[in-house]
Amino acid sequence: MSELKRTQLYDVHVAAGATMVDFGGWEMPVQYPEGIVSEHLYTRHACGIFDVSHMGRILVEGKDRFAFLQHVVTSNVGALELNRSQYCIIQAPDGSAVDDAYLYCFEEDNLWLVINAANIDKDLAYLTPLLAGYDCKLTNISAEWACIAVQGPKSKDILTELSGGEPLTIEPIKNRLNIVKLEGRTARIARTGYTGEPLGFEVFVKSEDVVWLWNRLVELGAKPAGLGARDTLRMEAGLPLYGHEMGVGPDGKNMPIFAVPLARFAVSFSPQKGDFVAKDILAKQRAAFVKIMNRDFSAIEDLPYRIMPITLLDRGVLRKDMEIYKGDKKIGWVTSGTMIPYYIAEGEGLESVITDAVAKRSIGMCYIASDTLVDDVVEVDVRGRRLKAVIPESHLSLEAPPFARPLIYGTELKKMEAPVGDGLAKALTLIAKAERNHLWRQTECINLIPSENTPSRAVQILSGSDPNFRYAEHRKTKAFYDKDIFYYQGTKFIDETEQLLVEEMKKYFGCSEVETRVTSGQMANTAVFSSLMDFKNRLDRKNDPKRLGYVMNNHIIRGGHLSAQPMGALHDFIAIDPKTEQNAVVNFPVLKDNIYKIDVEETKKLIDQYRPEFIIFGKSMVLHREPVAAIRQFVDEQKIPTTIMYDMAHVLGIIGPSFQDPFAEGAEIVTGSTHKSFFGPQRGVIAVNYKEDELKYELWKTIERRVFPGSVSNHHLGTQLGMLMAAYEMNTFRKEYQAAVVNGAKCLAKALADEGLAVEGDPAIGYTETHQVVVSVGYGQGSEVAERLEQNNIIVNYQATPDEEGFTASGALRMGVSEMVRFGFGEAEFKKTAALIAACIRGENVKEDVKKFRSEYQTMRYCFDDKTVENALDHLAGIMRR
Amino acid sequence: MEHLNYQFSRSHEWVKEEDGLTWVGISDFAQNALGDVVFINLPEVGDEVTAGDPFGDVESVKAVSDLVSPVTGTVAEINEELLDSPELLNSAPYETWIIKVENVTDTEELLSAAAYDAFCETEE
Repeated sequence: MSELKRTQLYDVHVAAGATMVDFGGWEMPVQYPEGIVSEHLYTRHACGIFDVSHMGRILVEGKDRFAFLQHVVTSNVGALELNRSQYCIIQAPDGSAVDDAYLYCFEEDNLWLVINAANIDKDLAYLTPLLAGYDCKLTNISAEWACIAVQGPKSKDILTELSGGEPLTIEPIKNRLNIVKLEGRTARIARTGYTGEPLGFEVFVKSEDVVWLWNRLVELGAKPAGLGARDTLRMEAGLPLYGHEMGVGPDGKNMPIFAVPLARFAVSFSPQKGDFVAKDILAKQRAAFVKIMNRDFSAIEDLPYRIMPITLLDRGVLRKDMEIYKGDKKIGWVTSGTMIPYYIAEGEGLESVITDAVAKRSIGMCYIASDTLVDDVVEVDVRGRRLKAVIPESHLSLEAPPFARPLIYGTELKKMEAPVGDGLAKALTLIAKAERNHLWRQTECINLIPSENTPSRAVQILSGSDPNFRYAEHRKTKAFYDKDIFYYQGTKFIDETEQLLVEEMKKYFGCSEVETRVTSGQMANTAVFSSLMDFKNRLDRKNDPKRLGYVMNNHIIRGGHLSAQPMGALHDFIAIDPKTEQNAVVNFPVLKDNIYKIDVEETKKLIDQYRPEFIIFGKSMVLHREPVAAIRQFVDEQKIPTTIMYDMAHVLGIIGPSFQDPFAEGAEIVTGSTHKSFFGPQRGVIAVNYKEDELKYELWKTIERRVFPGSVSNHHLGTQLGMLMAAYEMNTFRKEYQAAVVNGAKCLAKALADEGLAVEGDPAIGYTETHQVVVSVGYGQGSEVAERLEQNNIIVNYQATPDEEGFTASGALRMGVSEMVRFGFGEAEFKKTAALIAACIRGENVKEDVKKFRSEYQTMRYCFDDKTVENALDHLAGIMRR
Repeated sequence: MEHLNYQFSRSHEWVKEEDGLTWVGISDFAQNALGDVVFINLPEVGDEVTAGDPFGDVESVKAVSDLVSPVTGTVAEINEELLDSPELLNSAPYETWIIKVENVTDTEELLSAAAYDAFCETEE
């Protein structure tokens, strides 16, 4: 045993009673006295810490370090920016793995390559001769630095306590890095790990600090976990282990890299990589992989087996090297397997609760014939017995932070209870339920969803009247001097309505052109993006059109809306940046001391660097005005050709002196949805301020064409009529309404703060400049609190703040005041609302108080309440009743 | 000590006589070496077991180990509770029997508790 190497934490492990074993030449803790099952479970529900100091840390220096790494590892190292990390594979000339590794860029002038402990000597022996001709140096700095993996839902809290509240990484995104002080000691923190935990960090510290860090983590509630739990956790997460899912396979041959699912992300064929080791063989593997994924097995000999998860259906335990059969045919081997514990969850969806009850499942990974599909049932030879197993999609989901959630094979959601009876009975049930819902939301609830409003009775009735069922496709036709030509008869009233609506909206925006046919804000954005791309390619129709890039927008975790993201409406229009091999999107940087506000100076630097062809302001969690004027001035001065758009979905109804005036400040295009702070029916709108003699007026013409026939055929004529009424109302009551909304939001924010709640934003400006208020209720608590408020008739959104990992980790509530302002809420009423919210959050039942309070505010403001209007509407509704 | 009146095999099973049957379990040393027990395969009532031969197996997170019968005879009872809660072998090894054997015709050479403890010292 004396020849075994020991990490800087060896004595700590022994003192803690760990069972020490030989792991690749290192004397490491396989488990502590509580055992693997307990360590596994503690990591999944709280925080496990793992000594990973045995892993090799190689400093990569020299001006050719990127070129060298591009040659010897599979990933696109050129995409690795400062404070990012990247998974990669060190490939052998035969297209198998020498090792898998992680690259970290903590500093501008070097990289760290972290490799498996057992492979340090082998990897260095392989890599060193390849350095010839490169100005690049590899130094093994493993002894100077130690590393602790801090993994699990509580890991962030524990480390943030040590950082004194400083954010651990600038953005809460996997693979981000940062150098921070932990109680005065420098630590290199990476959002990486090998457990499948959505919240997990690897913390590198100088060797002399590691015992201190380990002990502090334990004091703060983390528990030591050994290599045993590390193995079960990574197996459950489907992460490969060299020697099991990589390297020499169970058939005695080297496993091709594309057998591992991670290869899809870890292998790049970017032109930046130039010629790299095993490029041709990997390309062949990839071609086979693509065919296999398309269920074309004609090239299966290039990739005969793949790594997949496997679940045992019969009683037993899977172990490495067990053979897998389909009938009499051997089709693969288990590469990793054991019995893995999990906490049983009760209930469904967001309301599901992770209980204390523990169950176990026999799962693993396998190297199996590449024509095997998910849900295929196979047999495993478990020491002479043939047991049934199945190939699941995966064992674990990381999709709902802060918890990694086990996916138990065969779990089915409960079916919704269908109404009983025949068609008539179902019809009556539906009407009764609709009535109950209408009364509940309209007369008993305090509605604070910022993306909602209630349209006036006039808007509602008009929206349901006859045009609602009609068709009115139309387009401007050059032959008739751009007169709109309709394709259907019976549409003269609709034509008139639409022309009036366009004029009212031009008046509202103070702009030259408006398109009202889009039926949602998202559609408005899609039409604009499509138009920009079409405009960009208008002089070359003989080649594939080029996509948009770069595009600057607000990041979704900082409040940006889906409709301006690559995963949303930008999806089909955004280019791939060849350098990063990711969408060519640049996000607005935010102020360090106010993450809700764009940092104008930093934005200018990024605009200068990337020269984005398109800048999209606007977001759905919005507390501030957007710096349209400052950015317009900058791009004009710098003569940077770009298009500035402001997606005003949320703030469409407060355009003007109470908020901001996008066209006066220099926006060219404004899109919006008409039913948030604007109180129309649910539609979209596009406005531009191009004049007929401008070049970009052609872009406007493109927008019209991309709306019809590009986006809509028929364009929902009932709500268009309702929208005209809403536009009349808005243009009549605009000034008072907008002032009341912005003031109401400030009142609500202040009252909530006075109640002791953590209101986000800058108190100096009254927390908000919009209709929205954001309140922090505790990490991961957002959805539960929002549900409790709903049970008490207060309707809000749960919301992830910019430093939270995703919607299930939401720690905030997002509220908007527009709808309640329309029902007469002012300062006193928002104070009362804040008191009710605070009481409910404290655990009091306020439902009856809310109902009683709301019952006193049933009359809608900022609409025509004249008796003559009421009589006319009664008459119209009466006719519609026939 | 709770196991003083038990006898032990060198493969770490314990044996005791009670109610006219031979009870078989695994020792504290064995459960410790195994780590968390997560699965057990048991014989069926009526099966013959042979001294020195496996009668089932026990699996921990880490590995699988045979259960070796210290006696030759017929399985009279199996502890079905273990199928769902194999972790009882970790938490209470000396209160948790695995099988009870009747018609015992042969027995391996067994150690006293003290001799077994000494034997375990040499195993470490």
